[in-house]
Amino acid sequence: MDRLKLLKIIVLVIFIMLLSRAAYLQIFNGDYFLELSEGNRISVRPINAPRGKIYDSRGEVIVSNRLTYNLYLMQNEIPPDSSVEEILMKLAKLSSISKDRLIDNFNNKEIKSYAEPILLVRHLSKEDMVIIAENNDLLPGLIVKESSLRDYIHPETLVHTTGYIGEINLDELKKFNNEGYDYKPGDFVGKGGLEKEYEFYLDGIQGAEQIEVDSRGVKIKTLGIKKPEPGDNLILNIDFQLQQAAEKTLMKNYEELRLKAKEDEERSMPIGAAAFVMDIDTGKVIVSASIPDYNLNLFAEGISTEDYLDLSRSLLKPMLNRTVMSAFPPGSIFKLVTGTAAMEELGVRADTSFYDANAAFYLPNWSIPFRNWNPVGEGKLNFVKAIARSNNIVFYELGYDLYREFNGDKLSEYAKKYGLGSRTNIDLPSEKSGLVPNDKWKRENLNQGWYPGDSVNLSIGQGSLLTTPVQIAQLISVVASEGKSYQPKIVDRIVSPEGDLIKENKQEINIDLREEVSEKTFKTLKQGMYDVVNKNYGTAYRHFRDYPVDIAGKTGTAQTSVALNNHAWFAGFAPFEDPEIAVVVLLENGGSSAYTVPIAREIMDYYFGFKNLNNGAGKVYYYDNED
Amino acid sequence: MNWNKKFLHYLNYNVPLTVILLILIGFLAISSAVEINQVDSNALVFMQKQAVSVILGLLLVFIIQAFDYRIFKEYSPIIYLLMLALLGITLFLGRTVAGGKRWLSIGPVNFQTAELAKIMLVLVLAAVIDNNSDDMGYLKGMFWPSVIAFIPFVLVILQNDLGTALVLFFIYFVMLFAGGGNIKYMAVVFGGGFLIIILIISAHLLIDTPLPFLHEYQLNRLIVFVNPDIDPYGSGYNIIQSKIALGSGRIFGRGLFSGTQNQLNFLPEKHTDFIFSVIGEEFGFFGSGIVILLFLFLIWQFLNIASDARDRYGYLVVIGITAMFLFHILENIGMTMGIMPITGIPLPFISYGGTFMLISLMAVGIVININLRKNKLMF
Repeated sequence: MDRLKLLKIIVLVIFIMLLSRAAYLQIFNGDYFLELSEGNRISVRPINAPRGKIYDSRGEVIVSNRLTYNLYLMQNEIPPDSSVEEILMKLAKLSSISKDRLIDNFNNKEIKSYAEPILLVRHLSKEDMVIIAENNDLLPGLIVKESSLRDYIHPETLVHTTGYIGEINLDELKKFNNEGYDYKPGDFVGKGGLEKEYEFYLDGIQGAEQIEVDSRGVKIKTLGIKKPEPGDNLILNIDFQLQQAAEKTLMKNYEELRLKAKEDEERSMPIGAAAFVMDIDTGKVIVSASIPDYNLNLFAEGISTEDYLDLSRSLLKPMLNRTVMSAFPPGSIFKLVTGTAAMEELGVRADTSFYDANAAFYLPNWSIPFRNWNPVGEGKLNFVKAIARSNNIVFYELGYDLYREFNGDKLSEYAKKYGLGSRTNIDLPSEKSGLVPNDKWKRENLNQGWYPGDSVNLSIGQGSLLTTPVQIAQLISVVASEGKSYQPKIVDRIVSPEGDLIKENKQEINIDLREEVSEKTFKTLKQGMYDVVNKNYGTAYRHFRDYPVDIAGKTGTAQTSVALNNHAWFAGFAPFEDPEIAVVVLLENGGSSAYTVPIAREIMDYYFGFKNLNNGAGKVYYYDNED
Repeated sequence: MNWNKKFLHYLNYNVPLTVILLILIGFLAISSAVEINQVDSNALVFMQKQAVSVILGLLLVFIIQAFDYRIFKEYSPIIYLLMLALLGITLFLGRTVAGGKRWLSIGPVNFQTAELAKIMLVLVLAAVIDNNSDDMGYLKGMFWPSVIAFIPFVLVILQNDLGTALVLFFIYFVMLFAGGGNIKYMAVVFGGGFLIIILIISAHLLIDTPLPFLHEYQLNRLIVFVNPDIDPYGSGYNIIQSKIALGSGRIFGRGLFSGTQNQLNFLPEKHTDFIFSVIGEEFGFFGSGIVILLFLFLIWQFLNIASDARDRYGYLVVIGITAMFLFHILENIGMTMGIMPITGIPLPFISYGGTFMLISLMAVGIVININLRKNKLMF
C-alpha cells in the first residue's frame, strides 16, 4: 500500500520535528531557561487580591477595602554576598521599624521554600515607605506591595454579623489547604460572622509576578504575571439603616437601664441585649443586633494581643453575638408551644374556660405551690385571655395535663417541632442549638427521671429550656404564617466583582407544621398574641396603644437559675392581618419584659416609617385612624 | 480455551508493553504534578482516580478481545446513532467545567462524551469508507464519509470543544487519505477551506466581521501562538512558562519533585494538559526524548498492524486510531514546546484524566483485537 508508506514518512517527520524541538529547548537553550527558572535569577513576587465587599439590601457598601502597603522579604533576591540578617539590620537602622519586630516577624513565619515571599510588615507607614524606596539599592530582597485592609464604613454597626478578620493560624492554614484552598502564612481570614461563614467566597486569589533579577537582586524584566482575582461580594438581606436605628434604640434603652440600676439597687442591670427582625415570607434577616459590641477597626490591621484579651475577658462578653451564639430560657413566650400542644392534644379551644382562684397551682402530694406572676387570683378566664394575660396557672394546668395524659416528653416534642433545641442553620458561624429537655436528656445529664414538676416548669418556658433569639423569631414566623417558617438568611446573594451572580441563597422552608397543626390552633394563638398588645388587659398593651399598625406579640420574663435577674423578652409580628415581619427583642438579665416592649415598638416605628431613618427612606404606610 | 493460545501467537507484544511503560511514566509525572511529596496535598485522590481508570481500561482491553472486531462494522449504524445521541444529550444536558469540555453526569460518574465520539467515529467511518472503496477515487465515494464525519464535528463545535473537533477532523482526513480518497480533490477542498478560514480570521481582525464557530479566547490563543510576546501576562503566559519548564530540564532534568516551574505552580494545568512540561523539567531531554521515541515506536507498531490487518475494515480502523493518537501526541507535545497552539488536548496514557485514559485503552484493545486476528486462514 503506497499510501501507508507516505503516512509512515509523515509520522517520521512529525516525530523528528518534536524531537528536534525538544533538543533545541533542552539541550541548546537549556542553560538559558534554567537560569530563568532558578532561584537566583527568577523571583515570584506576590500580587494581593482584595477581599470581597459587603453590601446591604439597598446596595449600600458596609464593608469595603482601602489601599495599604505591605513589606515583603524575598530571600531568593538577596545577593550571595549579603544575608537576611544584614538586610534586616540595615532596614531597622534606616526606618522606624524595630529590629526585634522584624526578626520576630521573620522567624514567626513557617517558610516552605526559599522563593516564598515573607510578610515582614503589614500596613507600612508612609515615612517608612519613602525610606525603603529611597534606599532601594541598599535593601535588596525587600519589596513593597500593594495590599488591602478592611475598611468599615460604620465600624460600630452590625459588628457581630459582619464579623472580624485576623491573621490565619496554623490550624486554619493546614485545614484550608487540605480542603484545596491556597492560603499562606500571614494571610488574613474571617474569624467570625459573615467574614468567617463566607470566607471562601470573600477571599480573593493572590496573583504573582515572575520576574528576572540580576545578580544584585535588581529586577530586569517581568516574565509572567498571574493576575489576582478579587473575592466575591456579599449582598445582604440586612437593611443597614434599619439596623442602625435598631441598634441605637437597643443601646439607648440598655444604657438607660444600666444607669438606673446603678442608682437603684432594687433594679436589675442588663448584661446584654439583642434584637432580631426577620421577613416572615422569605426568611430574610432584616435586622440582627447584639449588644454590647466592639469596634471592628480594632481588627482591621490585626488586633493587638492586649486589645484582644480585653475584649475576650470582658464580663459583658462583647464578642458574643447574642442573636445566635447564646441561648436563654424563653419564659412565657414558650406558652405558644404549650398552647399548641394543649389545643392539638387536649382539645382545648379558644373559648375553653379556666379558673385561677388564688394565683397558685398545686401538684398532688406536693405542698409547695407554683405561682403566677400576678400575686392575685385572676378568676375565670378563657384560653385566649390566658395567653393575653400570660396566666401561669392556666399553663401549669395544661402542662400537667399533658404529662398525665401522655408523658413528660409530649411538650418537648412540640418544642422540637417548632425548631427549638436545634440550629436554625442561619448563615452565621457558632450558632447554638439551645436545649429542649426531656426524660432522656434529664436521665443522661442530671441522673434523674422526669417529674411532673418538670412538665409544669417547662409549660411556662422555665427549667433547663434554652432558646436563641433566632429560634424565637422562627417560632413567631411559624405562628404568624400559620404553619411554616423559612430558614433565616443574612446573605441574599453572592456576586462576582464584575457583578455576575455566583450564588443565590434560596428560600427554603425550614419548619413546616401545616400538616400537623390545624389552622384553627394558629388562629387562636394569633388572637391571643393580638390581645396581648391590643386589649387593655394584655401584658404589652401600654406601649402599643393606638398604634397605627396592628401588632401581635408575646412577652416573656424568664427566671435565671443563678441569683441574677430575669431575662426579658418580647416577640411579635406585624401587621396582624398580613404578617410581614417577626420581631424579637431580648434583654439579658433585663429584669422585666416591660422594658423590651418599647424597644420593639421603636424598631417597628422605623420599619413602618413612622419614624424617619437616616435619609427618610423608611417604608411609608397609609392608614385610617379609627378615632 | 485453545483459541486464546492461537491468538496470542499473533500478538505484537510491543504494543501492550509500550502502553504500560507510558502509563507508568504518566503515574510518576502526575504524582509530581499533584505534589504528592507535600504533606498537605490531596495528591492521593488524584492517584487513586487515575489508577481506577487504568484498571477499568485494562479490563476493557481484555473484554474487547472476546469479540471479533468485525462486529463493529456490522453494528456501525447503531454506533453512529448512539454517538449522535450522546453528543446531542451532552449538548443539552451536559455541564461545562471552566468553559471547556462538556461532561455528562450519570450518577456519580462524569464522562466526556466527546472523547468517546473519537473512537465511535473511527469505527463508523472505517465501515463507510470500506463500503465505498471502489468509488473512493471519485467525489461520489468521498461524499458519504464526509457527511458522516461532518455531523458529529458540528455537534462537538457547538459544545465549544475546538480541540476535539480538530481531532475528529484529523481522523477523518487521515482515514480518507489512507482509504484511497482522491488526492486532487482533497487538496482543493481542504486547501480551499484552510484559505477561507484564514480569510475569515483576517477579516475579523482587520475589519471586525463576526467570527463563526470560534470564540474570542480561542482566537487569542491562536494569535498568541503565532507570537507569544504579544501578551506575556495573559494568553502567552502558559506558553512562556511551559517553555521555561521544558528548557530548564536541560539534558538530565532537575530531578523528580524538584522542578521549580512545576512545584511553584507556574505551570498551568500541569497534571493534565501540560504534563509533558513536567516530564521535560524533571527528567530533561533524556525523559522527554524517551517519551517521544516511545510514542513513535507505538505509532510505528500500529501502522504495521494496519498493513497486516486481515481485511480493509481492520486496516482502516487501525489507521483511524493511529490518527487519533498521532494528533493528540503532536498537538499536546507541540503545545508544550510552543510549536502548536494551546488547546485542551491530553497526552495519551500520560495525562491525568479518566475519560481519555479509558478511551485510549479501549482503542489499544481494538488495535490488539485486529492484530490477533490478522491471519486470514484461521477462520
